[in-house]
Amino acid sequence: MENKKISLKDGFFKQNIVFMSGLLIAPVIACATTLEKSLAVCLVFSLVSFLTILLCRVIPRKIAYTLRVIIYSLVASAIYIPSVLLTTTVMGGDVIASAGVYLPILVTNSLILSKSESRFYVEPFGDMVPDVLCFIAGFDAACIFTGAVREILAKGTIGGAYLDMPFTIPALETTFGGFLFVGIMAGFARGLYNHHKAKLLRAETDEEDELAEYAEDMGEFLTGKKNSEPDKIRIYKPSKKKKDDAPTNILDMDFSDNRSLVEEFAAIVAGGAELSPDESSGDENWSVEEGEEDMSGEDEGSQESAENKEDNEE
Amino acid sequence: MTAFMNVLMASIIAIFVQNSIFERALGINVLLYASRKREHLLGFFAAITYTTTISSAIIWIFDGLFAENEYYSVFMPILYVAVVSVLYILTLVLIWRFFPKLFRNIRKYVHLSVFNCSVIGALFLCSVQGSDIFTYIGYGFGTGIGFLLAAYLLYIAADRLNSPLVPAAFRGFPIMLVYVGILSLALYAFTGYTTSAV
Repeated sequence: MENKKISLKDGFFKQNIVFMSGLLIAPVIACATTLEKSLAVCLVFSLVSFLTILLCRVIPRKIAYTLRVIIYSLVASAIYIPSVLLTTTVMGGDVIASAGVYLPILVTNSLILSKSESRFYVEPFGDMVPDVLCFIAGFDAACIFTGAVREILAKGTIGGAYLDMPFTIPALETTFGGFLFVGIMAGFARGLYNHHKAKLLRAETDEEDELAEYAEDMGEFLTGKKNSEPDKIRIYKPSKKKKDDAPTNILDMDFSDNRSLVEEFAAIVAGGAELSPDESSGDENWSVEEGEEDMSGEDEGSQESAENKEDNEE
Repeated sequence: MTAFMNVLMASIIAIFVQNSIFERALGINVLLYASRKREHLLGFFAAITYTTTISSAIIWIFDGLFAENEYYSVFMPILYVAVVSVLYILTLVLIWRFFPKLFRNIRKYVHLSVFNCSVIGALFLCSVQGSDIFTYIGYGFGTGIGFLLAAYLLYIAADRLNSPLVPAAFRGFPIMLVYVGILSLALYAFTGYTTSAV
């Protein structure tokens, strides 16, 4: 956790508290009906959440969470006072009045009460600040988007300016309209994320296929036989946790210039053995296994076989 | 009798007409959590109903005292959170002292069921809708019952909403929102077409 790399996508998209995890949706569903109201909610939420999370970090964790949560709520309520006064000055009293109960309830939002404990306070301070800002930006983006789209579709205006819309859907202004809109948008956001994840997985699979194809070609090249049994050569693809040098070396290598490896490959093909990285002794060394093993336990299997080989030699 | 009728009417309004979940979307994230298990459902219902009913009676006193203050709306959150906090601590101490087993069971989620938008929002709505202490109490009590109704409707539909028939992207939270939206649309009929401002 100490060396955890902060990903902007985490708070902004992957764990968006509106569309992805639904941690804070009440103000978006019921209050974000116009761009102006959305901006007011975003301003109050950003100030209250950021300052509260920052200040409450100093609260000793020796105090039981059952009691700490009270302090978080009280600190948030205290910060709410200047935040709402500032928002009133910037946006006017009418907007604050129209937002109704949805501004005060932000003092007990889940980003402060839940996410701070499970995520922010276990991070180093330097990582926590950008992480919190990303989560807040994610909420703001979702809230403003929802407010703007609902205003356009429900009223045919944006920020009060009239748009020449061919039709309007006034029901989007209501709470049930908000539920349906946010639910559908959450589905689309998750679909987009799933699509992105599947794309990454496909790219990884393609890379593995390429490696398998390469191994097959190599078998043909070394044995001089066409349709040589591809499972006679197995090139291990170490997991991503290992150094990147080992797997990429295989693909990038010019075979004609590396006679020793070609010889090793030939020995493998002849004996039906397997080639695997010798992890016990370093990245560049490769060990030849006798016999075939299941590919599922790649790294462990190869390490064990290397150890067995050493034992046999002794 | 009038007091009882006031409590009853305010409760019915809070359950069906001004339901904190369907009509206001208050505490929807807590609802999604509470509706996962039956014991959570009952635990959250008990905690929310208890807190909103007693707190609403206390805030009625403060509302009466500070109603004329120009900045009262700005100070309301800290006052309401303080009221809920005191009640929460006292209750926890009593449960810890007299029902230690219950304390161990509820300790995991009791803070979630007390400090959430549903409870704090219900208190704000009490001060908007309520007129006397009975309507405050009725509204607070009705909010808890309304929460149970919403949570139960979600609980009984949870299996179908998470079934493989639902597209993967919509499974879980998005389809639950759509489902709650449809229920909200049904209950919207109780308010007619003239919804008052929030």
